Amino acid sequence: MSQQSQQEDVTASVGGDTATAAQPAAGIEPIVEAKGLSLGQIVRKRFFGHSGALAGLVVFAAIFVLAFSAEGWGPFPGWWKYRYDQVTPLVNFGQPTWTFVPFSFGDHPFGQDRIGRDLFAMTMRGAQQSITIMIIIGLVAGIIGVVVGALSGYFRGWVEAVLMRITDIIIIIPVLLLAAVMSQTAGRRDSGSWFAQFAATNGVVVLGIFLGLVAWVSLARLVRGEFLSLREREFVDAARISGASNMRIIFKHILPNAVGVVIVNGTLLMSSAILLETALSYLGVGVKAPDTSLGLLISQNEEAFSTRPWLFWWPGLFIVLICLSINFIGDGMRDAFDPRQKKFNAKKAKSRQSRAQGAPVGTPAVATAGGSVPSLDVDGTINPARGVVPDEEAHGGAPDSERDGTP
Amino acid sequence: MRFRRISKVVGVAAAAVLALSACATQGGGTAASSSSSSGAAKTGGSATVVEVNAFNTFNANTANGNTDINSKISYATHMGFYYVDNNLKIVHNDKFGSYEKTSDNPLTVKYTINDGVKWSDGTPVTAYDVALNWAANSAWFDDANADGTTGTSYFSTAASTQGLNNTNFPDVSSDGKTFTLTYTTPYADWESAIGGNNGTIDIPAHIVAKHAGLADAKALYDLMKGMKKGDPAHPQPANETLKKAADFYNTGFDTKTLPSDPNLFLSNGPYIVKDMVPDQSMTLVRNKDYNWGPAAHLDQIVVRYIGSAPAQIQALKNGEADIIAPQASSDTIQQLKALQGVTVDQGNQLSYDHIDLNFNGVFADQNVRTAFMLTVPRQDIVNKLITQMDPNAKPLDSQIFVPQQAGYADSVKNNGSSAYDSVNIDKAKQLLAGKTPTVRIMYNKDNPNRVDSYTLIAANAAKAGFKVVDDGLGASDWGKALGNGTYDASIFGWINPGIGVSGVPQIFQTGSGSNFNKFSDPQADALMKQLIQTTDQAKQVSLEQQIDQRIWASSYGLPLFQAVGVDAYSNRVTGVKYMPNSSGVWWNYWDWATT
Amino acid sequence: MVTYVVRRLITAALILLGASFLVYNLTALSGDPLADLRASNLPNAAQLMQARAQLLDLGTPAPIRYFKWLGGAAGCIVGNCNLGMNLVGQPVTQALGQALVQTLTLVTGATVLAILIGVALGIITALRQYSALDYGVTFMAFLFFSLPIFWVAVLLKEFGAIDFNNFLNNPVIPLPVSLGIGVVFGIVAAVVSSGAPRRRAIVGAIAFAFVSLVCIVASLTRWFATPGLGLGVIVILGVGLAFGITVLVAGLQNRRALYAGLTTVLVGAIIYFPIQPLLDVATGLMIFILAVIAVLVGVAVGWFWGGYDRGQGMRVGGITAFLVAAMVLLDRFMQAWPAYFSNDSIRGRPIATIGANTPNLQGDFWQQGLDSFTHLILPTIALVLISLASYTRYTRSSMLEVMNTDYIRTARAKGASERSVVMRHAFRNALIPISTVVALDIGQLIGGAVITETVFSVPGMGYMFLQGISHVDPNPVMGVFACVAITALAFNLIADLVYSALDPRVRVK
Repeated sequence: MSQQSQQEDVTASVGGDTATAAQPAAGIEPIVEAKGLSLGQIVRKRFFGHSGALAGLVVFAAIFVLAFSAEGWGPFPGWWKYRYDQVTPLVNFGQPTWTFVPFSFGDHPFGQDRIGRDLFAMTMRGAQQSITIMIIIGLVAGIIGVVVGALSGYFRGWVEAVLMRITDIIIIIPVLLLAAVMSQTAGRRDSGSWFAQFAATNGVVVLGIFLGLVAWVSLARLVRGEFLSLREREFVDAARISGASNMRIIFKHILPNAVGVVIVNGTLLMSSAILLETALSYLGVGVKAPDTSLGLLISQNEEAFSTRPWLFWWPGLFIVLICLSINFIGDGMRDAFDPRQKKFNAKKAKSRQSRAQGAPVGTPAVATAGGSVPSLDVDGTINPARGVVPDEEAHGGAPDSERDGTP
Repeated sequence: MRFRRISKVVGVAAAAVLALSACATQGGGTAASSSSSSGAAKTGGSATVVEVNAFNTFNANTANGNTDINSKISYATHMGFYYVDNNLKIVHNDKFGSYEKTSDNPLTVKYTINDGVKWSDGTPVTAYDVALNWAANSAWFDDANADGTTGTSYFSTAASTQGLNNTNFPDVSSDGKTFTLTYTTPYADWESAIGGNNGTIDIPAHIVAKHAGLADAKALYDLMKGMKKGDPAHPQPANETLKKAADFYNTGFDTKTLPSDPNLFLSNGPYIVKDMVPDQSMTLVRNKDYNWGPAAHLDQIVVRYIGSAPAQIQALKNGEADIIAPQASSDTIQQLKALQGVTVDQGNQLSYDHIDLNFNGVFADQNVRTAFMLTVPRQDIVNKLITQMDPNAKPLDSQIFVPQQAGYADSVKNNGSSAYDSVNIDKAKQLLAGKTPTVRIMYNKDNPNRVDSYTLIAANAAKAGFKVVDDGLGASDWGKALGNGTYDASIFGWINPGIGVSGVPQIFQTGSGSNFNKFSDPQADALMKQLIQTTDQAKQVSLEQQIDQRIWASSYGLPLFQAVGVDAYSNRVTGVKYMPNSSGVWWNYWDWATT
Repeated sequence: MVTYVVRRLITAALILLGASFLVYNLTALSGDPLADLRASNLPNAAQLMQARAQLLDLGTPAPIRYFKWLGGAAGCIVGNCNLGMNLVGQPVTQALGQALVQTLTLVTGATVLAILIGVALGIITALRQYSALDYGVTFMAFLFFSLPIFWVAVLLKEFGAIDFNNFLNNPVIPLPVSLGIGVVFGIVAAVVSSGAPRRRAIVGAIAFAFVSLVCIVASLTRWFATPGLGLGVIVILGVGLAFGITVLVAGLQNRRALYAGLTTVLVGAIIYFPIQPLLDVATGLMIFILAVIAVLVGVAVGWFWGGYDRGQGMRVGGITAFLVAAMVLLDRFMQAWPAYFSNDSIRGRPIATIGANTPNLQGDFWQQGLDSFTHLILPTIALVLISLASYTRYTRSSMLEVMNTDYIRTARAKGASERSVVMRHAFRNALIPISTVVALDIGQLIGGAVITETVFSVPGMGYMFLQGISHVDPNPVMGVFACVAITALAFNLIADLVYSALDPRVRVK
């Protein structure tokens, strides 16, 4: 299958410089970046050459720093004068005090809500929570997805059968339902279990972990696909012959070659995680008051849309900014990890000639497949089948058969 | 050659056109809709009302069918001996029939139905229909025990059966026009016993009888007459025919689409259902025969179901809806007030928030209770939560009345609530005498008003030396925790029934079902016992005022504020009036008219 | 092949069993169905609680209740379905039927549109990689993807319905606004077009002038109050389409194909007036038959013109005929607009914010059609905007990958025209992986869109599911879940089979 063959190309070239050097076909510019650089350096260089990704990174870093420094985190106090749950007297019906002429932030630059909490503080806290959830989902889903995918792809047989059937089951269980159960359990204090105790104080963390526990499935499928083809490669045989243990082969030899898929999809998973949190909070099963998140802020203030628009626009703006920047970072990552990606100059790209010859690029379809936009969004919550990779079984199960078909 | 081909093509095309016109719409053209006479805001026209929930049954009396929308549709399509107006007064509808108390001892009430009152299938409305209403809402025949393992439950009802259950089997006169009910124990709420909040006679007995295999309504009555009052201690074998009738009554009217059998949605009121789109809309049109009650103006009422308040407002703004009653919030109200061509009506609802103190644990000592109550910033809570919606809002000062009711003002003067008008931290400290009791406050964390009330109460109580523990629970857990003793104070809401007095002992009587804080006052108990047997309204009010006073004197806790309700309607509609009870805008639907 | 399918089906059944068991118990766990009654001060609260507990069979532990449910559900296999009742006593099978219709009307159009637009944009951006257009589309796609849908919905209702309706009541575009719209279109055209800055500027200027002029003319003739295309516009657009389709499908050097297209337009123009009386009494079935006839006529015209590649001519003829017929149809809908606009139930505010149709609308086929259109337009836009991103990005990378393959290089090397390379060699192969995504998405259609349905008050599957969860009522939840899971698993299988059918290198066994 084309996707598979594509991946083999990818891994072949990521695997070593020689492979990359051997790659250029007629008419393609020699890949200058590849000379004497490690994989990491190439990726870094490409990533920083991607203006969209760079802009995304800058914006995200700015929001991250702003959110975590303004309200403080854990034991560290923030520099902003109000806490997100602090009730202050209403100033001018809570309108934003931020003026441009003359420029001044005033006391409540983003305004206040109905009982006088500072919206800037709440938005910052919300951004913190949303980012926290996003990172936790990314980490949890990433780790589980990689481990499950790697084990089932590498060992195959009954390990694969069991793990993939579990994946299938989780894939068709609606996220919305799980979130509802989770928010029930977290709100329960009288049950007295350690989990409830923990959940009561760390609602956001629990929500993140819980969503992470169901969000790994598409990644697992992708990683498995990657492993299925990588385990048949020569370098794996070489490692095996030289006596490397299975674990070593999986984590030292194969995984680094699949890291592109993992990172790219992890990033994109995270951007949809933000939207998932927003949607769940909107439906009342996400983050609960008195804590806050961006999604909760917008849904609480949906009615204020035309009367006190600032309550609606500021958190909305931050959601869009975070999501947009993560998407661009993910896009940049994808380009950076694709070894055949070349940045060619615009003039040549325009001329028909270079289009005819070069037009390289193209992410491996599998890498994009489930990842391009993992449908974790809530309008997809009850939609199963998040991974868009065709089931390997459908294609003969064994990579050998696929290889046979590869031109 | 070519010409021939083309002519063939033309021939085929002509045949095709003929064939196509065969599958065209019959009649064609538009069915011109009636031109509404744009008279002086009188009869005719159509209005669209928005409801939150979707209609699902034509029998709103059963435990499952008793949702607001079902009751409202039932109210619009049926009439009865009375209705409740927006001052929470019972208004008799003498054109439908009359009822009067003919004796006090034993309490006997006689209902008479006028001639000419009939169902939309032409069958007259008779005393047998009233008898079915009584049978269904009294659980008189039920002999099932508490866990339902022995005996039979016949009719399902959402109403409280305590009044109608304590009656003799009612008499129906031979002409079927008069229904006489004799109570075995006096019942305070006898006025609204038959018909409940809506006052409607809404289930046609002859239809239920037919589905039970009986000839007519009288046959059903005769069947019931032959039965004994159910006794859970001595369960009898179920009467199959009555069971059949009851089963049909319980579920036979459930539907989301317009039934093909018009007998399932008979009307005896101003409107009759014409069309239903499941979960989307419903259309009511005039019942042509109707003349036994207030005359309706509109030709057609369209009901549409929209859940969220912003969507309702936008629908009103876009002219898709004419009358809406969204969940009130300050933003909703501001937004509505900003709309052009829209009138906004505001008022209090019958539900109110209150803080209750448990009469055991840390609050066993009345001084501690009083001290805590002195720290509750009721005015501040109202200012922060309610004033933006209703600038004239005041804290609620009675545990029994709401300001719409006649007894409220007098009760407030004497019940001692003035002591808690303002926060008095010094006095609270004095009462505490240096103690620093720990108070666990339970509330619904998912309700923003409760969360904010808690925040304000906790901050103030701490000033007087209370150690406040946040015991808030999630939406589906706090209800379970009520009365389980894991907290010392609870913030939540009650709903004042508006009419009738049976709700009072439900909350305040010793050991009663909703008495979660274990309040017990022998004097109040005695008064309540007297109250539910008092049939005279003036006496009822005076008793209620005394009970209110007892409750305040025991430092029970504090009512906080009444919820705010809001209606809004476009200026093409007139006659909409605010109503605090669950009928909402529908209470005077007959007055609605288009301009 | 057969054994493969059978194996997949058996696995799917086992997965369904496992997942449904989990879902049932999770739903039962997700809350307290008696919550609202526990806090009630109704004198008969205890009675009501008992009634509900009985209805939901709360006395039985959830895992056992699941098997009871399963027993009823198993009846579906033998045609005796019993999925239980929901809280209000409606059989779940019936509720599902109603919800399914709602969801499909809402989501089908949106999904088809999103696929068409997304794939087209993806291909264009791939062909013009790293151009301003590419960046612009990427940015917009990500932006729309990042917007919470309830937010989009509120904005759409405010501007797309309420303000647009206000505009329709006095459909005059002020001159500055006309020019402003022209400027926007001009800039877009300049960005989208390719070539030297000078050429772009010219394209932009032309677009600006044209769009502004159209706005001004539409405003002067009150086109928005009495819209219509008229024969003239249909013919002009039709000729343009005939050229465009010929370029894409056959290449302009195939004169006969072009003539076939133009002849088809001519036939359409001739039939325009005679067909109107027939259209006045139209029904859905008739429109469908007419569409089929139109395509057949187009194909026939192509066949008559013949030429060295008859197939191309027939294709051009068929596609042109279909599009011209669509324009005639559109024109007829527009003719019905004034009547619809002033309909008693519409009262001059056609674009709706809620629901799927106007209750009690009295009108003919055309007015009913317009009514569906005015109700579906906003949710459709919302859904298309948020789902555009995945199709665009996916098609783009798939197309780029294909454009980089050896066979494309070979095609170019042997001198195939750019049109032939893109349309014949690249595009078709790029569609193969996309077919998988599309098949899976269609499988998911049935699940509905929870939030979109909620904000637009369309009681579809998502709404039903949400209601079930919020009332802790397992039966409707299970009903929706079963439907969604079965279709999803089925389409998963179909996707794999389609893939192997399209890509001969992939074999199922």
